[in-house]
Amino acid sequence: MEFYFALATLFGFRILLGLSAYVVILTGQISMAQAGFYALGAYTAGAATALWGWPIVPAVLLGAIVGAVFGFLVGFPALRVRGLFLVIATLAFTEIVRMVFLNLKYTIRVGDRTIGPAAAEGFRGITYYFENGWSSLQIAGFTWLFVLAVLLAFWLMDRSRAGVVLRAVGEDELAASSVGINLTAAKVSAMTLGGLVAGLAGALYAHYATYLSQEEFGVLLASFAVAYPLIGGTGSVLGPIAGVLFFSLLIDGLRFLGDWRNLLFGVLIVAMMNVRPHGIIDVRLVRRLAALLRPAPKRAYAGD
Amino acid sequence: MTDLAIDVVQQLLNGFLFGSSYALIGIGFTMIFGVMDKLNLAFAVTGLAGAYTGLLLFHLTRGPFILVFLMAVAAAGLIGLVIELACFRWMPRDYPLAPLMATMGMLFFVDEVVSHATHGRPMAFPAPMGQVMMDVGPWLVRGDLGFMFLVSLAVMGALWALVYKTRLGLATRAVSQQPVAAQLCGIGLTRVNAAVFIITGMVGGVAGTLIGSAVGNLSPLLSLPLTVKGLVTAVLGGLGSIPGAIVAGLLLGIVEYEALYFFGIGYRDMVTYLLLFAFLVFRPGGLFGQRVGR
Repeated sequence: MEFYFALATLFGFRILLGLSAYVVILTGQISMAQAGFYALGAYTAGAATALWGWPIVPAVLLGAIVGAVFGFLVGFPALRVRGLFLVIATLAFTEIVRMVFLNLKYTIRVGDRTIGPAAAEGFRGITYYFENGWSSLQIAGFTWLFVLAVLLAFWLMDRSRAGVVLRAVGEDELAASSVGINLTAAKVSAMTLGGLVAGLAGALYAHYATYLSQEEFGVLLASFAVAYPLIGGTGSVLGPIAGVLFFSLLIDGLRFLGDWRNLLFGVLIVAMMNVRPHGIIDVRLVRRLAALLRPAPKRAYAGD
Repeated sequence: MTDLAIDVVQQLLNGFLFGSSYALIGIGFTMIFGVMDKLNLAFAVTGLAGAYTGLLLFHLTRGPFILVFLMAVAAAGLIGLVIELACFRWMPRDYPLAPLMATMGMLFFVDEVVSHATHGRPMAFPAPMGQVMMDVGPWLVRGDLGFMFLVSLAVMGALWALVYKTRLGLATRAVSQQPVAAQLCGIGLTRVNAAVFIITGMVGGVAGTLIGSAVGNLSPLLSLPLTVKGLVTAVLGGLGSIPGAIVAGLLLGIVEYEALYFFGIGYRDMVTYLLLFAFLVFRPGGLFGQRVGR
């Protein structure tokens, strides 16, 4: 059972990370900064419980807020650049964050142990769960509390005016601004929201992992963050979940292939993008499903 | 002259020469972007895989360096074509995110093939220049870096001739400006795209071989840093601009070597990224970019 709880917890982090990239992708942008926000959330929340003795909930919220603040800050220069330039700019942000943590030294001694970010040696001793005797079921439940809250919030947002605005910006910026949508507000809020969720994911991850090393928060993590919604599809919040399942099932499900698994991994991504270029759950699929669920006569009025 | 000044100029020289490899990788990214308006993340790894193929030939035959070089270039061109087929040809034209993701998958795949074949260990690469050094006044020019610079220069010259003096180059430029109009003029879009991928792949193969011989070994760990450096170069120079990529690559080499000298290895890349960030905020079009913020 322990194994499945741990797996569920890991899925939780990945889904949150995917959702944080999803909200930015809705506005038609690719952000590689999610790994940076994740790292900032992780280090901040870790420092809050391990170094300053905070309880877990405020620490996790602090991590999320730090992510949001940096999302906001990155969002502004991001207004000047779009598309591929934004990919590179946000990639630079993630790498800068990583370099800062590579050089940051801020440790305290507790008994015979050194706790805190120790530059290249990593951040040891985020043992809140352990000290308070949490079981792996409790950890999984606590993580999924946040995952479900974010999923619900995003699902509601998708069905509200805010979601329509974000999608409109993603479809066609010129058309969106000509019907009175404030592009600046839409993009910066998407970035801030993405930062918030990524920071939250990082904060939860830090306590699960108990040890952080800057190497984990590089280009690879940033690529996975955008890969979840791109493979899973951006038609609905279920898209990033489908993406996480696709990758996770591939990683664990192909284990019987041994070394060859990693080879197939890349090939399957390429094949998947050729079969479903807009992702597994794309806008068209969501519309078709919605049409199935809706009462039949309505379609007659649709004309074509 | 003080020691500091001598050292600074020495680093400037090394950076300038090493920067030519960044320029070659930047050119690859920028050319594909210029023609297709899309990013090929698997480009740097193409060059690396090409260099590995050359290395394989070297281990099989112990042949001369030129043979290794040609093999690497040919293999990288072929891999370039495979990437075009797998990640671009059948993708929707108006949705750039799908090929972006597909090339990311390709990056993982090629990287894994290399790791799998070499058991993830770095492998020694033949150095045509050995440990040759040249004295220029108080400074030293490393033979391999000088060789790298000269070969890069030759490749850049050949590319220039190809793009501006041949019919294929004319077609390429036409497609990069107006794909639809180019098609109406009877230019085969698929053919031009395939040609661009083969040519850029070959450029990548040259870059991979040169980096291999300058660093002295090849490692799968090079693929991500090279991808990032190539992208940085392409953006600094202005995406789509070949002269921009050349200047930006040389500039990036210089900045890296000077940052290494003044701040040490831990901060070297940070200086690079801060430079990039400043460029994107204050001059988003890059050095030679005409189109601002695409």
